[in-house]
Order: sequence, then structure tokens, then C-alpha cells
Amino acid sequence: MDALTIKHASAMPAPTWSWLRMNDTKLEIPCDLERVRAVTVEADEALTETHASFEGAVAKLQERLDAERTGLEDTRACVRAAAREAEDLNDLDTPALSAYQLRATRDELANDVAAAFETGIGIDARSYLNFLAGGTVVLATEEGADEAAVVRVAGTAGGAAAASVDVVAAPNSTLDLTVSLDGNGEGSDAAGLIGSELRVFAGPRSHVNVCVYVTADAGFTALDDSGYVLDEGARVTVRHTVLGGAHTATGLAADLRGDTARMDVDTRYLACGEDTRDFNYIIRHHGRKTVSNMDANGVLTGTSKKVLRGTIDLIHGCKGSEGSERETVLLANQGVDNKTVPTILCDEDDVAGNHGATIGHVRPEQLFYLGCRGLSQEAAEALFVTAKLEDAALSAPDEQIRANVVRLGSALVDDFKDFEEELA
Amino acid sequence: MAKQRTEVADIDRSLYDFRYDEEGFERLDAGLTPEIVTEISQRKDEPQWMLDFRLKSLEIYNRMPNPTWGPSIAGLDMDHIVTYVKPNTDQKADWDSVPDDIKNTFERLGIPEAERSYLAGVGAQYDSELVYHNMQDTASKMGIVYSGIEEALHEPKWEAIIREKFMTLIPPTDHKFAALHGAVWSGGSFVYVPKGVKLDFPLQSYFRLNAAGAGQFEHTLIIVEDDADLHFIEGCSAPKYNVANLHAGAVELFVGKRAHLRYSTIENWSKNMYNLNTKRARCDEEGEIEWISGSFGSHVGYLYPMSVLAGRKSKSSFTGITFAGAGQNLDTGCKVVLGAPETTATVETKGISKGGGIQTFRSSIVATPAAEGSAATVSCQSLMLDDESRSDTIPSMDIRAKNVDIGHEATIGRIGDDKIFYLMSRGISEEEARTMIVNGFANPVSKELPLEYAVEMNNLIKLEMEGAIG
Amino acid sequence: MSTDALLSVANLTASVDEKTILHNVNLNVRAGETHVLMGPNGAGKSTMGHVIMGDPVYTVNEGTITFDGADITELSCDKRSRAGLFLSFQAPVEIPGVPLSSFLRATIAGRPGLEMKGKEFRRRVKELAAQLDMDTAYLNRELGVGFSGGEKKKVEMLQLLLLQPKLAILDETDSGLDVDALSVVSRGMDAYRASCDGSLVIITHNTRILEHLTVDRVHVMVGGRIVREDDASLIPWIDEHGFESFEREAAGTADER
Repeated sequence: MDALTIKHASAMPAPTWSWLRMNDTKLEIPCDLERVRAVTVEADEALTETHASFEGAVAKLQERLDAERTGLEDTRACVRAAAREAEDLNDLDTPALSAYQLRATRDELANDVAAAFETGIGIDARSYLNFLAGGTVVLATEEGADEAAVVRVAGTAGGAAAASVDVVAAPNSTLDLTVSLDGNGEGSDAAGLIGSELRVFAGPRSHVNVCVYVTADAGFTALDDSGYVLDEGARVTVRHTVLGGAHTATGLAADLRGDTARMDVDTRYLACGEDTRDFNYIIRHHGRKTVSNMDANGVLTGTSKKVLRGTIDLIHGCKGSEGSERETVLLANQGVDNKTVPTILCDEDDVAGNHGATIGHVRPEQLFYLGCRGLSQEAAEALFVTAKLEDAALSAPDEQIRANVVRLGSALVDDFKDFEEELA
Repeated sequence: MAKQRTEVADIDRSLYDFRYDEEGFERLDAGLTPEIVTEISQRKDEPQWMLDFRLKSLEIYNRMPNPTWGPSIAGLDMDHIVTYVKPNTDQKADWDSVPDDIKNTFERLGIPEAERSYLAGVGAQYDSELVYHNMQDTASKMGIVYSGIEEALHEPKWEAIIREKFMTLIPPTDHKFAALHGAVWSGGSFVYVPKGVKLDFPLQSYFRLNAAGAGQFEHTLIIVEDDADLHFIEGCSAPKYNVANLHAGAVELFVGKRAHLRYSTIENWSKNMYNLNTKRARCDEEGEIEWISGSFGSHVGYLYPMSVLAGRKSKSSFTGITFAGAGQNLDTGCKVVLGAPETTATVETKGISKGGGIQTFRSSIVATPAAEGSAATVSCQSLMLDDESRSDTIPSMDIRAKNVDIGHEATIGRIGDDKIFYLMSRGISEEEARTMIVNGFANPVSKELPLEYAVEMNNLIKLEMEGAIG
Repeated sequence: MSTDALLSVANLTASVDEKTILHNVNLNVRAGETHVLMGPNGAGKSTMGHVIMGDPVYTVNEGTITFDGADITELSCDKRSRAGLFLSFQAPVEIPGVPLSSFLRATIAGRPGLEMKGKEFRRRVKELAAQLDMDTAYLNRELGVGFSGGEKKKVEMLQLLLLQPKLAILDETDSGLDVDALSVVSRGMDAYRASCDGSLVIITHNTRILEHLTVDRVHVMVGGRIVREDDASLIPWIDEHGFESFEREAAGTADER
């Protein structure tokens, strides 16, 4: 059987030059994998025995949004441009839009949350992961409740396993969700696939904290696809820790629909050998005074490749909103390939958007400090690789995940045993 | 209290939008065929290799798709664009013999005055032909060649050099409009600065687009040999017509070892212009290219000057400003290839959008595995003057070398109310305050320009900012 | 004297960006001795510490640095560290992404006699942290990130005690140390002297830090030159009179040239 290929996955909303080969990615699903059930969900019955649904929550939000529509005529230039049938050079006061700008204007006018819903990797990967999962687990909190859940996908060589989870957080509730994407090759490099498909509706003033650990061995492909809708005052914190896996794709799309919603994404990654890491983050600010922060910190070594697309979309009407993204990448080996596109799209003046990226080697003052403690440049770079793993182990959400990190660390780093013993 | 909003009126373009009758000009039939391309070449009495190059480019043009990532160019209908208009005058060496209507156009743009002041020479293009060309004695005595590129093509010594360099930095396969340029290019400047020659005043050229439905495809080729130094200024302004106007020029700059070239441009096209200009520079060891770029006007703009740092320790700096007003979609930025060890690049851009205008900053920094020890910094600031305009920032970086330092910073926002309040509390009107802040925002670019250009740019900004407050 | 010196700086001239900062400086420290390098702001004291440690920012134009019988003038700083030199930083750098414990483990890796197994390492570090009154939670935090000035100082002292260098240069210039931080440094120095009898070079212009120490030698630096050397009795004199007379003298000598 030929490998299944998902084209145009993890596409950035506003593309750039195609020769850069950054606009999207092609996902190769290894052939001849057996579909396996390897998912466990640890959650209180109160969370799983529910009638709430993601679609229902979105529909309710939509009712409110529709009731708030003013019906005032919108004469903005982009609206005129989107409404006309063809470009007319007698009307030079209406700008020619790019394909993306046209679609963005139409989406904004439609104001349809369900139609605009997207996940970071995209619809094709979503369909595939849902197929693998077989069914979707719904985790819904009661109003004001404080809950926690853990979803573990334990992949094996030769198998393809995925979880599909919907989260519906009721008003004023808190949910801590941990997702472990682990692939244990039992020492072999044979192919395997693990994945998770996550949809989150964070209701008014709810807090949803999601922590995803990818600790797959060298033969695995890992797909972590997610989409979020945030209602008024919702606060979502996401931590993505991607340490292993030959090919990983992490995608997150968030719709900050309600006013004062806030999204913080913290990404930590390590790529060794010939690993590829693909990240696609899209955060769309619809509501007023919404806030987003994306922070990524990674180390590339071997001949690994990484792409990070981070898009902050400040949509017309999101007055008082702020979006920022920051990335620090250490390139610890000649031969790595690091691609970064930190995009800000802005159709609103009363906003603040900023991004920054620092790419390169250990800074001279850091190198001197480490040198003064006896570390050569090579030792300093090795320290950054080890530290990425140790940091992940130290801040792992539970013992099982910590053990996964240690297993992976011992396979990647020679002297990781010392650390393992220290932890024990 | 309801927040007061400043309505900033559209630019009064009458100062720049003017044209004269096209009487006496030859026109080619609309549409683009091998016959037209052959006719262009024959009329210019070109060598066979150039005709072959044009025909090959036309083939590529017909095969290549339009760009899909940028502003729509659906308003362009190439079949109805007359690509070539030949003015009714041959090249003139002195100002007196230039036809009056063309002279008047130039005078309103202030070219003779600029020349009087201190400029080295003027090679201004009226439609597609070089109509006026002059060069100060000093420059030619230093061995510098500054002529029309078509003229240079008829000199065996320069023909060989042009053949070696022509469209090697911007091959016709680069993109559709590079192919179009290769097929129908016409006019433009050729500059050759010999080894070690340092010119301490700028050379200047003005391009004009006049005839309705006419595209302009001028080619600029500048060679600055080892240890030489040049400042070249290119300026554009065009009158208004309600037929698609296309500009697809090409600029190729070759900077030798330890040589230095500063290339300054203020592009100020009329609002029906589709400006798809391609500019590229290549630097050898320790060579340095400095781009100063101001983009105003045009209906649609695609402009990304590119530096290829091919020699060890070569340098590139890019300073740019883009102002998109009503009806404009300007997609601008720059590209840098760090292709050798210890190269350095800096990019500093400012973008302003108002009145529903769209401004996009787009860039790429590529560090090849050969770029060990290189560094690049990108800084990009965008200012939104109202809530119906748009400003996108799409930078990209592809880094494949070790021991490099790549830094990137970008911010988008509007003029802070606190700043306006502060200035108004000191007795300054709101309009003045806004203009003052926008001019301050643009200052990093204007301070790099020669004085009369800085004044022109500040005037442009002032015109853009003028209008009723209410 | 120089023959039995642990550290011997001879006729050292060093510069940064073609500006000479140190002029023909000499300094000899024997094993177990405590020296103090004093002088007004901008005298070149910190530079001296950094040059001895091999900061690549500075260029050595002339002279040699000998440590433990070997010429280390050309060695990179990691090799000097492994030879037994230590420099505590006035302002330690922050290294995001690297937990303090990972960093500490890397510093002792491959050092004969210091390398230890995981459990032993953690016990040792916890012991030292307790000695310095430092919360062990810091061990899992990123190096320097969000640490207060006093906490950063504790981390420096912790490394001093962990690495047990033969000679430590403590750069306390311009520190404006508060009472707490001052006591951290004092405690660190005492523990270091007690544990391994190493040599100390303390760079300071604040004599309070020296109150409980037996100082063998005081060096006064002005304008990149050592202008005076004496025993500990110089300290109370400087306390009373400051550096003005040295500065006047130095200016006078400079005028004569």
C-alpha cells in the first residue's frame, strides 16, 4: 500500500513566496500501519457523563452574536472590494485585495463561528485522526467546577493510534487537560503513528489548561491537531512540549471570539538526528480587549528541520486587543534547517501586535559565562540539548509522562542516566 | 466622551498628476506576440542574442502563472496594454533641444533645478525611450560610464559586458513579470564605475510614465568595480489615467570587492499604476549595498529589493518606507540571501496605512550553509492611521548555517492617544501633531535621503496627512 | 616570590576595541592567600578579573598569566576553569531553557574528583544550598531567569563551593550589595576557605565585605595600573581617605610623561 499523503497541511492563512517552501507542509502517513486502540482517558465520571456538545456550545454563542448584530451599513474599502464582481479601474478608491484579504473580509462579514472554525493542521488531518480514533470523547465541566483529565495515547511500532477529544468548559469552570502522545518503539526504529484531535470550547470566564507532551521514539510520526473557541473572559493556557518523533506536526488554531478572552501558548521543542518539526499556530482576535501570547523555545541539532508558522490575526472590531509572539531557537549543529514565519495580520488600528525572533548560537556572554565554569562551546551546546530534556522531565505533569521523557532522554543523550538516577 | 477621530483626506495629487498630449508619438498595436517582440528588437537594431533572449523570455512569460500570494492583479489586461511607446525625440545631449512639452513635465518635477544644484547627471526616461541624457564632465573624466543601456548595447566594449550580466541576477524564470520584462524591456540606464573610482556626488535618473495604457519596462544595469563607490538615485512619478498602467522594470546591481553602492529610490506612481518592479544586487567580498526605498502611490505594488551577499564579509542594509492611502494595496519589503561567511544584513522598515489602504511588509532572510558567522537583524514597524485600513507583516527566515545571529522584531499599532494629547497640551493642533508624529516615524528613511528628496518625501507625507479633523 | 606563586600576572597589557585598559600590570598570589584589588570606579579592576579568566572580548597585547606552574595566557576560559581558576560574576548571565541543576551537573562533568553520580550530586547540591540558605526549588528553575540580585549571588557562591577552585576571583565591584547579599558572599568566602584553603582575589571598593577576613595583600589600581601594594593595614587607611591621593598621584605621573 502506498503511503497516505495529506497535502497543504498546517497552512499559514496568508501565504508568502512559494519558493521558500514554508506556506504549508505535506504529511506522509507511513504505509502498512495497523489501526490500533491505544488510548486511555483518565477523568471523573462527572466530566464524561454529559449532554453538552462542542457544536451546541458554538451554536449558543452564535445566537448571542447574531442578536448583537447592528445591521448598520459597512462602507469600508475592503467590504466594497469584497462585494464587487470585478476590479474596476474607474473606482481607484477601492483597493485590489489579495486572495487572503478577500477571504478574511468575507469571513469577518459572515461572523459565523462554526463556519470559521479551524484546527491548526487542517481539515484533512482532522478527518484522518477522527477516523483513527473511532469516536470522540467529550469532556464537559459543570458551571464553577474544577476538574482534571489525562488522555494518553501509547503508540507502538507498526500501529497507528489517535485520540479525539472535545472539551466544553462551562462558565467559571476550570479544566486541566494533559495529553500524552507517547510512542515506544521498544528499541526499534520501525514506523508508527500517534495523534490527537482536540476541539475546545472555553465558555465564559472558564480556565482551560492544556499540556501536551510528545515523547515518541525515532520511528514515529506524531500529529497534534487542535482548535479552540474562547468565549467572553475565557482563559486558555497551552503548553506544547515536543521532544521526540521522526516527524511531528503540531497545529493550533484559536478563535478569541468573546471580549477579554486570553490565550497563552508556550512551546518547547527539541529536534535531533533527521527529525522534522512542524508547528502552525493561528490565533484570531475577534473580541475586544483580547490578549494572546505565543512563546516558543527550541533546540535543533543533527540535521533536523523545523518550521514554525505563527500567525496573529487582529480582525476588524477587536479594539484594545494585543497579540505577541516570540521565538528563540538554538542551532546546535551545522546542517540544521530552521524556518520561521512570524506573521501579524492587522485590520484594526486600536491594537498592539508585536513579534520577535532570535535565531542562532549560544550568545557570546552566555558562552563566556559557561566557559568560566569549565564548559567548552561543544559542551555548552550539548548542555542546551540535555537541558531541554531535563527541563521537560522536571516540569512533567505526572510520573508516567516523566518516565516517558527519561526513556526518550536516555535514548538521545549518553549521560542521561545520571539525571535519571538523580530523579529517582 | 466619544473619541474624536481624525479624518485624513486623500492626497491632492494635482501637483504630481499632469500629462501632455501624446501627439506625434508612435504606438504599437495592443497585445503581446512574438511579432511585437521582434519589432521592438528590430526597431532598436539589437544584436541577435538580445532578440533570442526576448523571444525566450516571451515563451516563459506565456507559460508562467500569475502570483497567487499577493494583491490581485486581475485589473491588468495584458492584451490591451500597449507595451511600448516611442517618444518623438531622439536622445539629446543638451537641455535646449528637448521638446517643450516633455521639458515642462520635467520642470514641474524639478529636475533641472536638482541638476543645477549638484547632481552629476540626469538620464530621465520619458515613456519608453531615453530622451534626455547628460553627465557632468567630472564623472566622465573619472572614467565613469553613465549612458542609456540601449546606447551602450551598440558599443562593442559594453555589449560584451551587458551580454555577460544582463538578467543574470533576475532571470526571466524568476517570476512572470521578470519574464515579461525580458521580452519587452526598453530603455533604462547603464552605469559602469571602474576599479577604485569613488564618486562623491550622486547620479540621478527620473522615470516617467505618460501615455495611457502604456507599460514601462526600463532596465537598469549598474556595475561598481572593486574598491569603487557610487550613489545612484532613481525617482518615479506618474500622471493619472483610468486605464491599467503597468510598470515592470528591472534593476541589476553588481557590487565588486570592497566596493560600495547606495541605491536610493522614491517611487511615487499615480493611483492606477500596477508596479511590479524587480531589483536585485549582488555583492562580492566586503562589498556593500545600501538600499533606501520609499514607496508611495500605485494601485497595486509588489516591490522587494533583494541583496545576494555572495562574498565573504559583504554587507547589505535596507531602509524603507511604504505609505498606502485610499485604494492602494502595497506589498513591499525586501529579500536577503546570506550566501558567504561573515556577511551582515540589516533591514529597517516603516509602513503606514490610512483611508482603507492596505500595506503589507513581506521579507525573507535566507542563510545558506556557507553563511557561518553571519548576522542579520530585521526591524519592522507599522502604523495604522484609522480603523478601516489594513497592515500585514509576513516576514520569513530560513536559516541553515551554524554560528549565525538572526534577530527579528516587528510591531503594529496606532499613534498613541497620549502622544497626541501631550503635543496638543503644548498648543499644537491635532492635525499638526499627527503629521509631526508620522514624519518622526518616517525619519529613519528621510534622514538617509539627499536633502531635496527628503523634502519631497516630507511634502508627500504632509499632503497625505492634510485634511479636516472632525 | 613569583617562583612559588599560584597565580602570576606579569607585565600584562590588555585592550578592548584598540583601547588599552590595563597597562603593564603585575600580580602574584600564593596558594592559600587572600588578596584584595581595590580602586575607584573605572580603574580596570573588573577587566583584570575578566582578562585573567580569558574573556575573549579583551585582547592581551603584552605579558603573561601563569597559573599553577603553567602559562595560561593563550588558553580558552573553559580550560582555565578546569585548571582551577574561578571568577564569580558581578552580573551573572541568564540562560533561559537551562535548569540550574542541569547547568551545575555540566560544570562538574569530567572534573577528576568532582564528578559524582546522580543521587550523590543532588545530595551535595542540597547540602550546599542549605549552607547558603538557598531554597532548593531554585535548582529546577531556569538559570538566572527571574532570580533576584541576592539569589543570583547565592548561585555564584554555590558554584564556588561545588567546584572548589584553587583560586577564586570574586568580582564585587559596583555591587551596591544589600546586607543580605553581603552576608551571602561572606558566608560563601568563609565556607570556601574552610573547605579547601583556596586562594582568593577579591575585587571591591567596599571594605565592609573584608571585615571578617584575614587579608594578606592589598593592591590599589588606578587608570589601569597597580599604583600601590601593601598589607592589610592599607584597608582602614583607604576607608578613611578614599582613593583620591592615589588618583592625584597617578594624574601627576601621567602629566610628567
